[in-house]
Amino acid sequence: MTRSIPLAAAALLALAACSPSNTEKAGAPTDSGELNLYTARHYDADLALYERFTKETGIKVNRIEGNPDQLIARMTSEGASSPADVFLAADAGALWRAQNANLLQPTSSPALEAAIPANLREPEGRWFGFSRRARIVAYDPAKVRPEEIDTYEEIASPRFRKKLCVRSADSVYNLSLVGALIEAWGPQKAGEWVKGVVANMARPPEGGDRDQIRAVGAGVCEIALTNSYYYIRMAGGGDAKDKAVTDKVKLAFSSLDGQGAHVNISGGGVAANAPNRENAVRFLEFLASPEAQNIVAEKNSEFTANPAVPAPAPVDAYAGFQAHPMSVATYGPRQSEAQSLMSAAGWR
Amino acid sequence: MPVLRGGVDGSPLRILALLAAALAMLPLAGVVAAAMSGQATADIAARDLTRYALSSITLSAGVAVSTAVVGAVAAWLVAMHRFPGRDLFAWALALPLAIPAFAVAYAYADFLDVAGDLRTWTRARWGADLPFNMRTLGGATFVLSCAFYPYVYLAMRAALMNQSVQALEAARMLGCSPGQAVLRAALPLCRPALAAGVALAVMETLADYGAVQFLGVQTLTTGVVRAWFVYGSLTSAAQFALPLMAAAAILLWIERSGRRGRSHDAANIRWRRLEASPLKGARALAASGFCLVLLTVGFLLPAIWLGLAAMGVTPEWPRLLRASAHSVALSSAGAVATVFLAALLALGAGRLPVTARLASLGYATPGAVMAIGLLAPAALFWKIAPGGSASLWVGLTLLIFAYAARLMAAALEPIEAGLSRVTPSMVAAARNLGRSEVGAALAVQAPMARGALLTALLLVFIDVLKELPATLILRPFNFDTLAVMADNYARDERLANAGWPALLIVAAALPVVVWLTRRITVSRPGEDAA
Repeated sequence: MTRSIPLAAAALLALAACSPSNTEKAGAPTDSGELNLYTARHYDADLALYERFTKETGIKVNRIEGNPDQLIARMTSEGASSPADVFLAADAGALWRAQNANLLQPTSSPALEAAIPANLREPEGRWFGFSRRARIVAYDPAKVRPEEIDTYEEIASPRFRKKLCVRSADSVYNLSLVGALIEAWGPQKAGEWVKGVVANMARPPEGGDRDQIRAVGAGVCEIALTNSYYYIRMAGGGDAKDKAVTDKVKLAFSSLDGQGAHVNISGGGVAANAPNRENAVRFLEFLASPEAQNIVAEKNSEFTANPAVPAPAPVDAYAGFQAHPMSVATYGPRQSEAQSLMSAAGWR
Repeated sequence: MPVLRGGVDGSPLRILALLAAALAMLPLAGVVAAAMSGQATADIAARDLTRYALSSITLSAGVAVSTAVVGAVAAWLVAMHRFPGRDLFAWALALPLAIPAFAVAYAYADFLDVAGDLRTWTRARWGADLPFNMRTLGGATFVLSCAFYPYVYLAMRAALMNQSVQALEAARMLGCSPGQAVLRAALPLCRPALAAGVALAVMETLADYGAVQFLGVQTLTTGVVRAWFVYGSLTSAAQFALPLMAAAAILLWIERSGRRGRSHDAANIRWRRLEASPLKGARALAASGFCLVLLTVGFLLPAIWLGLAAMGVTPEWPRLLRASAHSVALSSAGAVATVFLAALLALGAGRLPVTARLASLGYATPGAVMAIGLLAPAALFWKIAPGGSASLWVGLTLLIFAYAARLMAAALEPIEAGLSRVTPSMVAAARNLGRSEVGAALAVQAPMARGALLTALLLVFIDVLKELPATLILRPFNFDTLAVMADNYARDERLANAGWPALLIVAAALPVVVWLTRRITVSRPGEDAA
């Protein structure tokens, strides 16, 4: 073992040599030409974004990726000395939980307020949505007519007994959807809807959204709940088998109370103790810019949040849908209620 | 006689052992502290909690039984028989140790997906679906058994090879058939090894983070995660974690009490090599077939499937290579730190049996629970260390501490086994020759356990390569490991991309696993183990 100690020490030194080491300065109270990002987004498209930001501003982006709630727990533990400048998450509920833990500070930026519609940001500017995804229905056109699923009520109707595929209640996307339904309908009707969904399940919830789409393709179910970008990615993607699935499965933008599809956001805000506050605001403004909006939409198949930026291909083919105007800030406070409703109904 | 004073308070070994144990127990104390602070506000129905608990118990029991049977049969075949391919299987059957359980889960979930090629084909061909679904409790049991049977296999093979032929001969002379001799003499003698192997497999099962989560099987960990994340109640989460920690403690206690007073190693001088009996015809075929199926299911199939999936995407070599460097360096440093602390603990463990077991608890503690526990000591460290959590070195130090706390048991097991070969009289001899307690440990115990220390180093090295929860929550900026990269891609439902980092973990762990298993072949009582 004694021989191994120098070996390990050498390994650590090599590690330090090949790692970006100038993060040491990041804790300094004044802006340091760096930006410390805690991000729960885990998409390759984001790396292209950071590179572009660095190129334009000279500000280096340091990042820690992780599960949103683990990042929130870490920021809480770090307290006032947290080096986090910006927190990003791929669900409005997660952003609300960060806000609720007092980890985000209000930001007032005319550029952000002009670019991001009011229903896609927190009223006091604690966080802003930078991309949108609709939670909608993938269906088998051989068995289902599009008008049979043009409302969310129909997903839970007896028409689809044992014909629905959906992932588990652990998915934040499902929690936010049910949260939105509670907001729109009240807990009574939302609870009935959840019970209908459970009765309609063709199988116990398993896998991710993509697996639900594939299951529709394989004939396991007729309809499935999914986030839009999974389908769009499969339809345009490099995987021939996935592409073939989307030839047999179509996407329907169901409408909530005739006002449009349930939309969730990916977004972020300035951390409460951000050491590089100015850089953080610049970064958020960059995310709202046409250039960044295009990168996210194009590389991650999400819809733009800035209405002035038209959706690029391949998303443009799907972007003409009507989105429900509900404020995404309402989802988070409803998530625990949603979870309780879902558990009570037996949605695993 | 100085040695008789070994138990006196304040002996340096004892103090060092206590210090090592205290470090390892910090996260567990963190969980207990969290459970007692604040209000438990998570609204999780008793019915759900019962279901989670039953899943956890079923999963652990399933993995225990299947790894015990499969691992013991494989070890018995390889150690005591000759059949075609035996020399290859002897080391190849341990290969699943090189592939992370979460990667096995990705591969099987995809391979046996309801919309995958295989099941689509069987539906078209036979009009019926295959009954295998990996995203179920049964599927998770299968995946984890594939990943963890080598713990039983290795422990049993070492035990079978280390036993002297004399016990078997005695049994034969007393009228037993060869089969009876194995059942009545060899197996009982190997019981401690079997218990230790199964305990390791079950502890890995309890602690698993990536595989069960990916398969969507809801266990008690789900309760912890829901309470923490959805209901935002760390207190509730920690309270749900307490029974899991208690289960781990009970498991360790059972495993230990099964071994107490059952040291059956034959005296070295009278040790004679066990002659493997040749198998012929159908029996030889069956033995080769069994081992081949095990190797295929546990390693070849998932590795090849991931490889095929990965072929579909162009790897990003700069990122992958940087992550590889991070993984290997962290694993090396983590292994040295863990083994150093475990050795201190093992040297003092004779007098601190309860402490040593408590310090081992991290190994069986679910990843999500460990994350809760680690944040408490981390918060303190972030506040006092220069540079705080933005500093690379602070981050690395914390991670290495986390690995030591989490993997103490993996190092402690082989080291204690190695030290048990040092009889009290040997230490007494050194003390009588004027060595201090620490001096005797350095001059006698450590050299004699050299092989065991090396084994421990390599085991921890492999475990850190595959580690997820602590790395996810504590790592410094811009610091991805291979396991973190694979997890990121898997959460984004990009299996083909996850294939590359997963395969690189296999590539890094493979030589170590092969070397480790071959070492067991050459190390026998009476021979130099290094």
